[in-house]
Amino acid sequence: MLRTAWTVAAKDLRLFLRDQVALLMSFALPIVLATVFGAAMSSMMDDEPASRVEVHFEDLDQSPQSKALLFELQSCAALRIELRNDVRARVENGAAPAAILVPAGFGADVAAGRKPRIVLYRDPAKEIEQQILAGNLVPVLMRAAGPAVAKEMTKRGMEAMGFPAGMRDMAESMFDSRAVPAQAGESSKNPFDFDEGGAEALGLSVEDVAGGPNPSRKAAGGSHAIAGIAVMMLLFGLSACGGTILEEEVSGTLQRVRLTPNAGASVLLGKMIFTVAVGLAQLVVLFAYGGLVFEVPILHDPIALVVHSVAVACAAAGFGLCLAVLCRTRKQLEGLSTLLILTMSALGGSWFPLAIVPEWFRTVGHFTLNAWAMDGYQGLFWYGKDLGGIAVDVAVLFAIAAATSGLAWVGWRRRFERIA
Amino acid sequence: MDSLPAIEVRDLVKRFGAARAVDGLSLAVRRGESLGFLGPNGAGKTTTIRILSTLVAPTSGSVSVLGLDPVRQSAALRGRIGVVPQEIALYDGLTARENLEFFGRMHGLERARLREAVDRALDEAELAERAQDRVQAYSGGMKRRLNLVAALLHDPELVFLDEPTVGIDPQSRNHVFELVDRLRAAGTTLVYTTHQLGEVERLCDRIVILDRGRTIAAGTFDELRRGIARASGARGKLEVGARATEALAALRAAGIEARLDEDLPDLEQVFLTLTGHALRDEDL
Repeated sequence: MLRTAWTVAAKDLRLFLRDQVALLMSFALPIVLATVFGAAMSSMMDDEPASRVEVHFEDLDQSPQSKALLFELQSCAALRIELRNDVRARVENGAAPAAILVPAGFGADVAAGRKPRIVLYRDPAKEIEQQILAGNLVPVLMRAAGPAVAKEMTKRGMEAMGFPAGMRDMAESMFDSRAVPAQAGESSKNPFDFDEGGAEALGLSVEDVAGGPNPSRKAAGGSHAIAGIAVMMLLFGLSACGGTILEEEVSGTLQRVRLTPNAGASVLLGKMIFTVAVGLAQLVVLFAYGGLVFEVPILHDPIALVVHSVAVACAAAGFGLCLAVLCRTRKQLEGLSTLLILTMSALGGSWFPLAIVPEWFRTVGHFTLNAWAMDGYQGLFWYGKDLGGIAVDVAVLFAIAAATSGLAWVGWRRRFERIA
Repeated sequence: MDSLPAIEVRDLVKRFGAARAVDGLSLAVRRGESLGFLGPNGAGKTTTIRILSTLVAPTSGSVSVLGLDPVRQSAALRGRIGVVPQEIALYDGLTARENLEFFGRMHGLERARLREAVDRALDEAELAERAQDRVQAYSGGMKRRLNLVAALLHDPELVFLDEPTVGIDPQSRNHVFELVDRLRAAGTTLVYTTHQLGEVERLCDRIVILDRGRTIAAGTFDELRRGIARASGARGKLEVGARATEALAALRAAGIEARLDEDLPDLEQVFLTLTGHALRDEDL
C-alpha cells in the first residue's frame, strides 16, 4: 500500500515540478507579495526618513518665533516639511496630506505670552498621516509657545478632553520641572486626536479641506476601496478577455477567422473593442455600487469620470491583450497575469493608499497603471478635481494603452499575421 | 483563365529549422477535380495545405492557387477558397445560425446574401430545426456537418477538406459524403485529406500520395493499383457470372492457381443497410 502511495505521490511531484505555472504560483507569487507588503508595512512602523509624513508649511508671519516653529518641525524625524505657498489648496487637491499656515501676528502673540494661533489643513482620507502629524505637532507647538503658554495650553487641553484633576496636576508639575517631551519621533507613536478639544487649547485652527464640503469616513474609505478593487478586477477581467485569443487558437476558430479576406488588424482591433467594452461595463457596475453603498461621489464630474475610465479600460485592455499574445497557452497566461496583477495592485495602491508608503515605493508604484488609475479616481472622487486636474493621469494611461496595444500588435503580427 | 489548373506547385520546399516538412513537391490539380491527398503522419500534407491556403509561406518553389500567389495575394485568395479544418472550429457558446452569420460576415456577406447563404448552409447540414441551439448542445456528427458548411458560405471555388469525417457515426459520414458529392457536381475543386482510404476511393477523381515531403505516387485509383499490381506481379480477375464454382474447378483442373472471391459488401455497407441512412442527431 505504501509503495502504491509513493508511486502516486512521485508521479504528482514530477507533474508539479514540470508545471511552471504551479511553481510560479506556489513560490514566486508569495515571495513577491511578501516583499511588497513587507516594504510597505515596515515603512509604517519605523522612523526612517523615507517614511516621513509630508507637511506643507506657509509662514505669513516671518517672525523669529515662526522661524523657530519651522525649525522645530523640521527637526521632527517623522515629518518632512516643505515650504510652499497657498497650502490650503495643496491639501485640497491632494498634493499633501496636511499643511500648516502660520498667520501674521504669531510672533507677537508668543512674545506677549498670549496663546499663538496657527491653522492646520488636513486631508481626512489620510488618517495615518494625521495621527503621526498630531503626535509630533503637540510638543512642537508647546515648545514654540514657551513654557508658560505651554503649561496653560496643556492645562486647558486636558480640561477640554476631560482628564481627571490628578492627571492634570501631574502634567503641570512636569512643566514646572521643564520636562516637556523633546523627542518628536517617539511621540509620533502616541496619536493625538485634535477633534477631542485639544486643538482649541493648542491654539490650532483645524480644517479638513479635502473630500468636499461634508467629508465622511465612509466616502474616504469607499473612494479608495472601490477604485482600488475596480482597477485590480479590471486587470483580471481584461486579461481573461485577452485570453480568448489563446482559446480560439486552440479551438481552431482563430485560424478559421484568419482565413477570411478581411482578417488581420481588424481581428485584434475587434478583440480590443470587446475588451474595453467589458472593462467599462465592469467599472460602471462597481462605481454605481460604490456610489450607492459608500457614498462615493461618482457624479461629481461625469465627463471626467467617463474619460478617465475609458483611459483606464484602454490601458488595462492593452495590458491584457499584450499578455495574451506573449503567452503560449491559457494556463501560462493565467499564472503570469495573476503574478503581475497582484504585484501591480500592491505596488500601485489598489490595496492600500500609496500615501502611507515611502517615496521610493510610490515612485516604483507609478510604473504600474494601477497608480495612475488610482490617482485619477482619487482626484475625482475625493479631491473634487475636474478633467484638467487629472489630465496627467489620463494622458499617462492613454500612453500605457498605446504602448501595450502596440506591443500586442507586434506580438500578434509575429505570431498570427506574418506568413512564416 | 478557367483552363489554368486550380493548383500548380513546382519544386515546393518548406523548412522548419533543419527539418524539411516539404521537400521538392510538385503537383497540379485541375479545376473541378477532386484530389485525394494521402500520406502517413509527418508526410507533409498539413504543411502543404497550409501553404496552399495562405497560412504559411514556402521556403522555395513556386505555388499558384486559382492563378494567385498565396503569399502576395493572400487576401484575394482567401475569398475564393474554403478550408474545412480537422478540428471543430466553431464557437460552442453561439448557436449554429450565429456561428454561420459570424463567419459569413467575416467573408464579407451582408443582409439578404448572408441570410440566404446561412439558410442554405443550415439546410445542407440538415440543422435548420436546431439552428437556434447552441453548438455545445450538438452531437459530434452535427458539429462536423456545421463545421463543413461553415467553410462553404461564400461559395468557394476550391475547398480543402482536412479529415472531415473524424469521429462521427456512419450516418453523418454518409451525409458528409453527399455534401462532397454535391460540391463535385457543382464543379468545385476539392483537395481531400484523410486516413480513411475508402473515402478517397469513393470521393476522389485522382490521388496524390506523399511521403517525407515528396510525391511518391499520383494518378487515379485504378492507375495506382494497376501500377502496384504490375510492380508486384499481382493476380488478374476473371468475371465468370453465375457458374463461378464450375469455372474455379475447371481452372484448377487445368493446373491454374485460382481462388473464388465472392463480391460481398464491406462492413460500412452492412452497417448502413442494417441501420439505415437517416441522420441520428440524438445523444442519449
